[in-house]
Amino acid sequence: MRTRGFAAIAAALIMAAALAVVTLPAGAQDSTDSTSDGETSSLKIGWAQDPQTLNPFVALNEENYNVWSLNYDLLVNFSPEDLSPAPGIAESWEISDDKRTVTFKLDPEKVWSDGVPVTSKDVKYSLEVLGGDGALFAGYTSGIESIKTPDDETVVITTKRPDARLVGGLFVYIIPEHIWGKESVDDLTGSFQPELPLVGSGPYMVTEFSRGRIIRMERNPEWNGPEPGFDEVQYIKYGNTDGVERALRLGEVDMILEVEASSFERLSGDPNIEAITAPSPAYTQLAFNLCSEQDCPDAQFNPAVQDPAVRQAVGYAVDRERINEIAAQGTSFVGHGVLPSYYRDFYEVPEQDYPYEPETASQILDDAGWQDNGDEPRTKDGETLSFDLMARSESPYTQQVAKLIAEQAAEVGIEFNISVVSDDKLTEATVRQVDGKPAPEFDTFLWGWGGDPYDPSFILSVLTGDEIGGLSDAFWSNPEYDALYDEQAGTFDVEERKQQIQEMVALAQEDLPYLVITYDPELQAYRTDRVSGIERVCPSGEDGDLICAQVSYEPLLDIGPADGSSDDGDGGGSGGIIVAIIAAVAVIAAGLFFWRRRSSEGDEPLEYEE
Amino acid sequence: MNGRWLAGKTGAALLTLLFVLVFNFFLFRVMGDPTSQFTRLPGATTEEIAELKSDYGLDKPLTGQFADYMGDTLRLDLGISQRSREPVWEEILDALPWTLLLVGTGTVLATLIGSWMGVIAATRRGGKADDGLLGFSLFTYASPEYWLGIILILVFAVAIPILPAGLQMTPGVEFSSFFAEALDVAEHMILPVTAMTLMLLGQYFLIMRSSMVDVLTEDFITVKRAIGLPWDRVVRRHAVPNALLPLVTLSAIQFGAVAGGAITIETIFSWPGLGELNFTAINDKDFPVLQGTFLVFSVGVILANLLADILYFFLDPRVQSK
Repeated sequence: MRTRGFAAIAAALIMAAALAVVTLPAGAQDSTDSTSDGETSSLKIGWAQDPQTLNPFVALNEENYNVWSLNYDLLVNFSPEDLSPAPGIAESWEISDDKRTVTFKLDPEKVWSDGVPVTSKDVKYSLEVLGGDGALFAGYTSGIESIKTPDDETVVITTKRPDARLVGGLFVYIIPEHIWGKESVDDLTGSFQPELPLVGSGPYMVTEFSRGRIIRMERNPEWNGPEPGFDEVQYIKYGNTDGVERALRLGEVDMILEVEASSFERLSGDPNIEAITAPSPAYTQLAFNLCSEQDCPDAQFNPAVQDPAVRQAVGYAVDRERINEIAAQGTSFVGHGVLPSYYRDFYEVPEQDYPYEPETASQILDDAGWQDNGDEPRTKDGETLSFDLMARSESPYTQQVAKLIAEQAAEVGIEFNISVVSDDKLTEATVRQVDGKPAPEFDTFLWGWGGDPYDPSFILSVLTGDEIGGLSDAFWSNPEYDALYDEQAGTFDVEERKQQIQEMVALAQEDLPYLVITYDPELQAYRTDRVSGIERVCPSGEDGDLICAQVSYEPLLDIGPADGSSDDGDGGGSGGIIVAIIAAVAVIAAGLFFWRRRSSEGDEPLEYEE
Repeated sequence: MNGRWLAGKTGAALLTLLFVLVFNFFLFRVMGDPTSQFTRLPGATTEEIAELKSDYGLDKPLTGQFADYMGDTLRLDLGISQRSREPVWEEILDALPWTLLLVGTGTVLATLIGSWMGVIAATRRGGKADDGLLGFSLFTYASPEYWLGIILILVFAVAIPILPAGLQMTPGVEFSSFFAEALDVAEHMILPVTAMTLMLLGQYFLIMRSSMVDVLTEDFITVKRAIGLPWDRVVRRHAVPNALLPLVTLSAIQFGAVAGGAITIETIFSWPGLGELNFTAINDKDFPVLQGTFLVFSVGVILANLLADILYFFLDPRVQSK
């Protein structure tokens, strides 16, 4: 009786499991219908984080750009050559004499992937509605006063004051009004999920979106540019970065766009893999709490952090090259001021660059009256050079950087007490408010910012006084910097704008609200036996990345499957293996069974307890 | 009375459930303001942040939020994922079968193999087989599941590449038939299920072994032997069924550990189940999804325990007679 009861339970469990097997593929089936005969060439890109929704109104994942940038155009795209403004939905543009009006002529040939022509109404809709309410897109259109559409192929945008972002910095995708316009904004910013295929104007369109598994993008049938080399682009989700990198080594995927610094060297060692590092528009900085008494009456920090001499001394005491070598295994790029070198058109190494000179650091501190106490931190009038330094639990890199900074600063008599905190806790410390006024509660911390492709306005904006109470987390306020910021934002002339930006960088270097440690790298890798035609782009040359990910679809038009590459992964063998394994298990089980029977048939002694 | 006993157990389960519901709510509220991350969104203005807060009901006082939460949960409305904007239920239902498949197969295999090993070891107590099995079980029991998982991957997917290292099926492939698809899933299951089985095996083995050793020394076994029943029959018909009882409790208690193990194993093997959903939600700070998966896990554990109690009621006459 009881044996049967047990058998019944076991059988029920097995059946439940079997039932699960049956229901699973059924669930996945709707995604694998349609298309092709197995001869499809696909570019498989692995990642450990995938977009949670494709709806641009609510999406918050950075990975969405990987998908959207192939599916959509911007009004003005970026040239893969040097990231400069290039035709997108707009074929050409003209800037008025007062620089407040830009007239865009649209490409009359552009057609949405469902055959409907792209018109100026789509542009107006996208800029106004997506630019107004899209979670990742709000803010770009803040300077716009009016958008006029005199005819289907003309868009006239007028701004409150000259805004150079209109050409090259309007990072709002142009989406089809005839699809999105049918929904109310409340729905769009609620739980709306777009239908597939995702109608767009780029060379590929999303045809399958299975969250946590795969995003499949197939060719846009209406695409009239050069034919892309791959029939499909697949983004395949793995559980963690280890899994992604293993998949690349095993040939399950062809490319990864985010490699961990720790595995960069190992991947580079694989003869079939090429791994690259390129500067990105992002940096990691040591931020100081500079909130003034009037802005933040209730801020809590060691006031010594607001002595410019102290910050400059930290600048000279910290060896950024060494940090890059050790903490980033040499894969990152040493920082030189608050404008990443990525912004080629506007970048220059600033004059005041804080090379590693501990003697200079000591000298500055001596001159400022900070008394040298040997192994103890320096002191002056009851103040001590002992600061809290928060590093992020989410970023092992910042933890290592923190250790190195503490070690190096200790040499000149500045103490850093490191605490590792979650991003949430760190944010709480910086955005803390008392009585409606900012009241930051920290001395220093390590975090970073990332900017837009080409246009540096955003990354420069985080240090403006206007952002105090907003994005500013150093609470630095410099009227000269702010004025220059406004000026550069309205300067269309690249050389002139570069001058203004250089002045801003110099001001920030002098006062040092941020000591920029490194410009973060883009670490990517691909299989040379699978993908051919890769030339580093955005910008071209050795600062470029593999496919201009998140920025331009153009490089994808130039690459294709490598000769002799097949679509099969090496890892996933045929069903034969599993049959063999099951057979082997059965044989072993049967063998054990008979062995057990034989041995138990013998007359065994009874056991007695003593 | 029997009915009272059962009602008591059910009541206790319900109380635990209520506690979990309340705890769940506060757990996620002390983890910090979920909107704080929005402030680091490029271009998000104060008004937009306020709007986001009101969208999620985060602008209400805590008591109001709590009332909303209890009401919604009791109506089985787990809310909408902050990231995907899909109903949390849908996400969970999407992931649940995969977890059941992995956990179910792993548990069944671990129970069968573990108890079978236990019987062998107990009947050969002190012998070589006993020593060997004991050593093996203690080893797998003591090894963390992520370590087992990584070793399995390194051996069977990297060093000898005969099995896929992760995912639930070959991505992006159009399968010619349902059978081909099932076979592909089965192939991808081997390593994670092995890791799961190894993780669970040790406990089943140890419990079964000690339970068998106890039973084998009881008088009725001696009597059965004395009346001339073959040893094999005594073990199978009389000793094993009596020794199985503790296993029932163990399966239920283990369910919690299984849920925890599923998170690690699914993440290592990129298995798109509840564990991975949970992991992604943690990374994204997607509180509704986290609350949902926690609730599902807790309800699972509570139900499994209740089920074990009920099973015991039918399996063990001693419980009924009390």
